[in-house]
Amino acid sequence: MELLPQALVDGLMLGAIYIIIAVAFSLVYGVMHVIDFAVGEWIMFGAFAGFYLNKATGLDPFLLLPAVFVAFAALGWLLQPILQRVLSGRRGNPLLMALVFTFGLSLMFRGLAQTFFGFYSLSTPSRLSTGSFFFEKGDFFLTISHVRLAGLAYAAVITGGLQYLLKHTDFGLGVRALAQHKDAAGLMGVNARRTNGYVYALYTGVSGMTGVLIGTILSVSAKMGPEYTIFAFFVVVLAGMGYLAGVPAAAILLGLIQSMFLVYLDPGYTLLAVFGVLYVILLVSPTGLFRKGV
Amino acid sequence: MRRTMGLAMLALLTMARPALAGEARDYFKVGVVTELSGDLATGGNVTKRGYDLWAQAVNEAGGIAVRGKKYPVKLVYADAQSNPSQGAAAAERLVTQEQVDFILGPYSSGVTIAVAPVVEKYKVPMITGSAESPLIWRQKFLYTFGTIPPINFTGAAAIETLAALEPKPRTAVIFGSNDTFSKATAEAFEGAAKKAGIKVLKFNIVPSGQDLTPLMSAVKGMRPDIVAFGGHDEELIKLVKGLHQIDFAPRALLMHYGVTEPAFVDALKGDANQVFGGAVWTESTATKSDLLWKDAPSYAAAAQKAFNTPADYTQAGSSAAGIAFQVAVQKLDAAPPLTEAQRVALVQALEGVDVSTFYGRVKFATDGEFYHSNAGLTPLTVQIQGGKVAVVGPMKPAPAKAQYPMSPWAGR
Repeated sequence: MELLPQALVDGLMLGAIYIIIAVAFSLVYGVMHVIDFAVGEWIMFGAFAGFYLNKATGLDPFLLLPAVFVAFAALGWLLQPILQRVLSGRRGNPLLMALVFTFGLSLMFRGLAQTFFGFYSLSTPSRLSTGSFFFEKGDFFLTISHVRLAGLAYAAVITGGLQYLLKHTDFGLGVRALAQHKDAAGLMGVNARRTNGYVYALYTGVSGMTGVLIGTILSVSAKMGPEYTIFAFFVVVLAGMGYLAGVPAAAILLGLIQSMFLVYLDPGYTLLAVFGVLYVILLVSPTGLFRKGV
Repeated sequence: MRRTMGLAMLALLTMARPALAGEARDYFKVGVVTELSGDLATGGNVTKRGYDLWAQAVNEAGGIAVRGKKYPVKLVYADAQSNPSQGAAAAERLVTQEQVDFILGPYSSGVTIAVAPVVEKYKVPMITGSAESPLIWRQKFLYTFGTIPPINFTGAAAIETLAALEPKPRTAVIFGSNDTFSKATAEAFEGAAKKAGIKVLKFNIVPSGQDLTPLMSAVKGMRPDIVAFGGHDEELIKLVKGLHQIDFAPRALLMHYGVTEPAFVDALKGDANQVFGGAVWTESTATKSDLLWKDAPSYAAAAQKAFNTPADYTQAGSSAAGIAFQVAVQKLDAAPPLTEAQRVALVQALEGVDVSTFYGRVKFATDGEFYHSNAGLTPLTVQIQGGKVAVVGPMKPAPAKAQYPMSPWAGR
C-alpha cells in the first residue's frame, strides 16, 4: 500500500511520455487520414537533433525546443507534397499506399540514421535530468523526477496548445472542416493542400520536440523509432482513431496500467497487460475509449 | 516469346551453376553472420570490428600459411538484422550461394541459437566471438564454437566479488531483459547470490526495452544492497538514467556486458562511474602471444588506431575467433576452398586448438555443459572508475580496489 502514491505518480509520468508521442500522430490521422509509421523515426531524428545541438551550443535541451520545432516543421512542410501525391494519386486504395509509403520512409530514415549517426546509444544531458523532489511521511514516500515532471508539463502545454488551435482559431476551424468532409470544406474555401501541409508540418515539428525530450529522459539511438511508433499507434487506437481530445486519457490509462503492473504484479507481463486491456476495450468499443474515433 | 525467355533463363542458370560449384580461389572465404542493423546493431558492429581487425592483421602478414603458401582471407558479411530467423536465412545464403569455408558467428545468443542448426546441416564450422548464453552449449552443436565462456560461468564471478566486499551485501534485487543472453545473465546472478548467502528480494524477467523507472521507484522502497540487471547497451543506459532521476543509489549496481562498451561511459559520463560489470578481457589483461598481436595492450592500440575507439572484450573475443580458425586451418594444412571432408576435419582441428593469444588462452571444451565454448579464460569483475574499466576481482589482490558502497548521484 505504501507504494501506491509512487505507482500512481509514475504511471502519470509514463502517460505523459505517451501523450507527447501520440498527440501529433493523432492529429495527422484525424485530418489527413494517414497512419504515419515513420512517427518513431521523426522522434528519433528529433532526439539526435537535441543531442547534437546541445553538444554544439551547450544550451539545455529544453531551451532548444523552439529551434527544433521550426527546423522539423520546415522538413515536414517540404515532405508533405510527396505524401499528398501518394494520397491523391489515381492508384488503387490511396490510404493503403500512404501506409506503405510511410512504412518505407521509416525504414529509409532508420537506415540513414544508422549510417550517419552510427549504432551507439547516446544520452542528452540536461540540468533537469539530475534532480528530484522527495517526500516522505511514515511508510509513504514519493520521488518525482524533475525531468519527468517537465515532460508532464510539456505534454499539458502541447495538448492544450493543439486544442486551442483547433477550437479557437480560423485555422483550426479549417482543419476540423477538412477532417469532417474534404469536399465540403473545399467548397467553403478551405485550401486542403495548404492546410494539410500546415498540419503535417505541425506534426513533424511536435514529433521533433518530443524526440528532444525522449533523448533527455531516456536515450537516443538510431534504432529507437519502432518502439515509439508502436506506442503512438496503441494510444491513438485506444483514444479513438483521429480523436485528439481522447489522447491524454488513453495515454495516462496505458501509463497507469504499466506502472501498476510493474509495481504490484509481475513486471514480465506488463506489455501483455497493456495489450490485453487494449484488446478488451476495442472489443467492447471498436471506436476507442470514448466511442468517438473513426 | 515467353517460352524463349524461359529457355534463355534456364540456359543462363545452367551456365552459372558450374562456376559456383567448381569455384577455384586462392583465398579463404570467411562468412560472417552478425547483427549489422536492428536492435542489437551496437553489439553486432562491435563484433564486426573484431572480425575486420583480425582479417586486416592476417592479410597484412600475408595470409594464413598452408602447404608452404600464404592465403589471404576475405570476409563476406550477411546481416542478421537482429532477428534469429533472418540470421538463419543469412547463414544459409552464405553457405549455399557464397560457399564460404567457415563462419564467424553472431553477436547475440538468440541469433546464434538460430544459426547453429543451419551450419550443422551444411557441415560448416562456426565460431561466435560474442554469444554467451549457456543454452547454446547445452545443445552440443558439433559445428558451433565460441571464444567467450558462458554467462553462468562469468556472471557468478561478479556476484562472488561483491559478496566479499565490506560491509557485506545482504540483499539483492535482480532483473533481466527478456532475451536469451540477458535472461541467462539474470539467472546466473540469482544462482550465485543465493549461493553466496545474499537474499534475493525480487527477481523478474522484464520485456526488452521497457522504461523500468516505475519499477525502480518501488525497488527504492525495498532498500536492497545490490541491484543487478542483465540487459543490452541501451537498456543499461536507460536504467542508470532512471536511477539517477529518482535519486536511488544502491550499495552496488551490477550489470554485465555493456558496461565495458565505450558507449556506456560516453553516454552516461560521471553516472557510469562505480557501476560493476563482468568481463573476460580488458586492455590490461596479462597475456602473451606469438600470433598477430603480442599482448592485450598491443591489440588495444591496434584497435584504437583502426576504429578510434577502445576495444572491449566482445571485440577482442571476435578477433580471437578468427585466430582460432587460423590456427586450426594451419594445423589441418588444407588450402582453400575447403571441401566438405576438410570442413569436417576442421572441427576436429578446432577441438584440438590450445593456443595463447592476446585475448588469453583459447581452448574449446570437448564435453560437459560448456561443450565447445572457450574453457581457457578466467572471468573478471570490472568496475568503471574515473571513466575507465578497472578490474576489481575476483582474484586477490585485484589490480584495483572496488569503490563500494556506491556514492550518491548528486555531485558526481
